[in-house]
Amino acid sequence: MVEYQLLRAHSLEEVLEILTEKKKVQILAGGTDLMVDLHQQDPKFENIDYLLDITDVAELKGIKLGPEEGEIGALTTHAELLSSPEIKEKLPFIGAAASSIGSTQIRNRATIGGNLVNAAACADSFSPLIALGAELVLRNKGGARRVLLEDFVEWPNQTVLKDNEVLEKIVFKMPQGEYHSSYQKIGRRNAVSISRLSLTLLAEVENEAIKNIQVVSGAATPAPVPFREVNKYLTAKTFAEIDPAEAGEIAADEMVGITGERWSTPYKRPALSKLVERAVKDLLEEAGYNG
Amino acid sequence: MAKLDVEITVNGARHKLEVGSQERLLDTLREQLKMTGTKEGCSVGECGACTVIVDDQAVNSCLVLTAQVDGSEIITVEGLESKSGLHPLQKAFIEKQAIQCGFCTPGMLMSALALLNTNPTPTKEEIKTALEGNLCRCTGYQQIIDAVEMAAEEWGV
Repeated sequence: MVEYQLLRAHSLEEVLEILTEKKKVQILAGGTDLMVDLHQQDPKFENIDYLLDITDVAELKGIKLGPEEGEIGALTTHAELLSSPEIKEKLPFIGAAASSIGSTQIRNRATIGGNLVNAAACADSFSPLIALGAELVLRNKGGARRVLLEDFVEWPNQTVLKDNEVLEKIVFKMPQGEYHSSYQKIGRRNAVSISRLSLTLLAEVENEAIKNIQVVSGAATPAPVPFREVNKYLTAKTFAEIDPAEAGEIAADEMVGITGERWSTPYKRPALSKLVERAVKDLLEEAGYNG
Repeated sequence: MAKLDVEITVNGARHKLEVGSQERLLDTLREQLKMTGTKEGCSVGECGACTVIVDDQAVNSCLVLTAQVDGSEIITVEGLESKSGLHPLQKAFIEKQAIQCGFCTPGMLMSALALLNTNPTPTKEEIKTALEGNLCRCTGYQQIIDAVEMAAEEWGV
């Protein structure tokens, strides 16, 4: 039988105080993952003495996008992300990822911070934020440290967040100049769907060539990673030099290089290859290149 | 384990309650307030049968602790009918035969109400998105979508 004391914090200071003073504290945000585990009396709750509800902490909410830098509070819900006009205009791939998550009811509660900290291998928030080169601000009572998002997950459901820390916000540099993006997801159905594969492509372009590019997978590898070989292949190429199918093959090779041949490889290899090919074709089309 | 004091407003009525640390909003509504219109289906946020409106947003009441919504305004299916009769959504569900076994209906009505409260003239796609977290194993959904469209037309007048 799971037993814990429920605590509610109303400010960040209160959260940090509780995390310092008490041991065996589990933070509760939107609850759309945690409440499922709780209902199923997951053995992980045997090591928890306190459940700390932080949903009322205003300092952890909100979206701020400046000309140079942007930040998203950890408690920002997926519904808030997809309905934000700023996100839609400047970072549409983040809105696309948010809208692909769960259902309306889930998106109304589930938070971007919860998605990251829960760190499921299939979590949809990673690839758009890794493409942005995002860092996480992890705060404890003594201060804050920044961790690059791609270094945050050690293994599915296991992160470098310490027991006395809370994820405060996600910070990133805004893409500059002319840029194009795409977010793609393959699931078994349209709604309430767990990603089989997802992908973000974010490219800064100049003079019909790629200046900077990030192609990042979700659900393809145990922890989400940028496809370095694909990025290397595409960077500094003119549009005319790019073969989208080749980019797809490089990404697929890179995925199998990380995961090894698995039961899902005969499906995921060609699927990822096509997903990357499609994303690159979309990029060229959006950039107005008619090859 | 210690009980927690919470105050919630359900369908316009204030309730001061003591709730357990693992008590879900769904449990409070059904067990403490005896409002059994809200149904428990899957208990893991997939089926939407337990959908209620919390502070204007549709949520799965199986995934929320009651203590988390202290101070909130909640609307359940019991809040639809008024002295002047059935709500336009209820009338439309009957008119369009959007109900067979009826188990999903309270959740469908709440998702539809949350949509129409914020978007009185939804497109068919917007209706489908609003209802995507609600499973119905009887109707095949078309009648439900028709009913929401009808309610939007009639209610909007």
